[in-house]
Amino acid sequence: MEKLFNRAIFFLSLIGLLISVFLFYEYSLSGPMVCPLGGGCDIVRSSPYSSFLGISIPIWGIGFYLSLAILSVFRLGKLQLMLALCGFAFGLYLTFLEAFVIGAFCFWCVLSFIISFVILICAVKLKF
Amino acid sequence: MRSETKILGGVLIFSLVLIMGAVFLLNQGGSSKEVKGEKTFAIDYSKGQKIGSDSAKVKLVEFSDFQCPACKAAEPEVKQVLAKYKNDLQFIYRHFPLPQHKNGRAAATLAEAAGEKNKFWEMHEKLFNNQEGWSVLPDPTSYFLDLAGSIDLDKDQVKKALENKPYEGKINEDVAEGQVLGVNSTPTFFVNGKKLKLQSFSDLDTAISDELKK
Repeated sequence: MEKLFNRAIFFLSLIGLLISVFLFYEYSLSGPMVCPLGGGCDIVRSSPYSSFLGISIPIWGIGFYLSLAILSVFRLGKLQLMLALCGFAFGLYLTFLEAFVIGAFCFWCVLSFIISFVILICAVKLKF
Repeated sequence: MRSETKILGGVLIFSLVLIMGAVFLLNQGGSSKEVKGEKTFAIDYSKGQKIGSDSAKVKLVEFSDFQCPACKAAEPEVKQVLAKYKNDLQFIYRHFPLPQHKNGRAAATLAEAAGEKNKFWEMHEKLFNNQEGWSVLPDPTSYFLDLAGSIDLDKDQVKKALENKPYEGKINEDVAEGQVLGVNSTPTFFVNGKKLKLQSFSDLDTAISDELKK
């Protein structure tokens, strides 16, 4: 059972990593070429909250999911739980910003938040 | 080392290599494509805010939204082609405020109000330069009044315009024409009626110089 939760954390981290890399690519490398009709992501992206401590949010995401995946490889349950908790709390803060300050949602950011929530549940189950 | 560790470690390394490969390929791709579309659209050149002579050989029309970061990003290139092709180019700005940009319409109204005093382009510049400042405001009115004040517009008149929205019809006409022309993102550029498919903003220059060679 423990193995299952650990694997779940690992694979969810990989999915999260993929989303973060995609967002990083969208944010930083491709440059803003167009604003598509009806998109919420570009509002979130152009808001001042798209970076934290001077580092863009997708890079935090990459760091978070990559660290979590590495911790899962070595099954460091306590650290996994701590990191998962930090990630979830940060995601909660960002989603709060989207809802009440920016007033727009980015699909990928919300998806990443949901993943971090599921990871947290798995990490709790893994430890207790 | 446990076999589970080896398996997960292997999967992780494999995934990282795949992701890096994908990012690399995405960065490589998308070069040397045709910049201009085949079809020539009939655009109503009597509308919009203009820079340059009506008899200029090339007409560059932009459907734009003051709140769109990509439109702001296109600005330096637009300025560059305007300086480069001074006598041969007419630039026409048409409004296409996207519905998700809550302050885009008010910004268009502000620019048109400035246009009444022949200061459309000054306000156009102010709006793009300060885009981050006013985009996120729940109500940009006081910010906009400060912008108006900074280019010596009568704040009371501007305030009235922001409240009564006298240019709503004009903005709606622009949006309606944009929709007929198939505009679904901003900025959308047309060079002599041909819709541009930009890979980078420097393609603007390419499209204009191609048109001048004809």
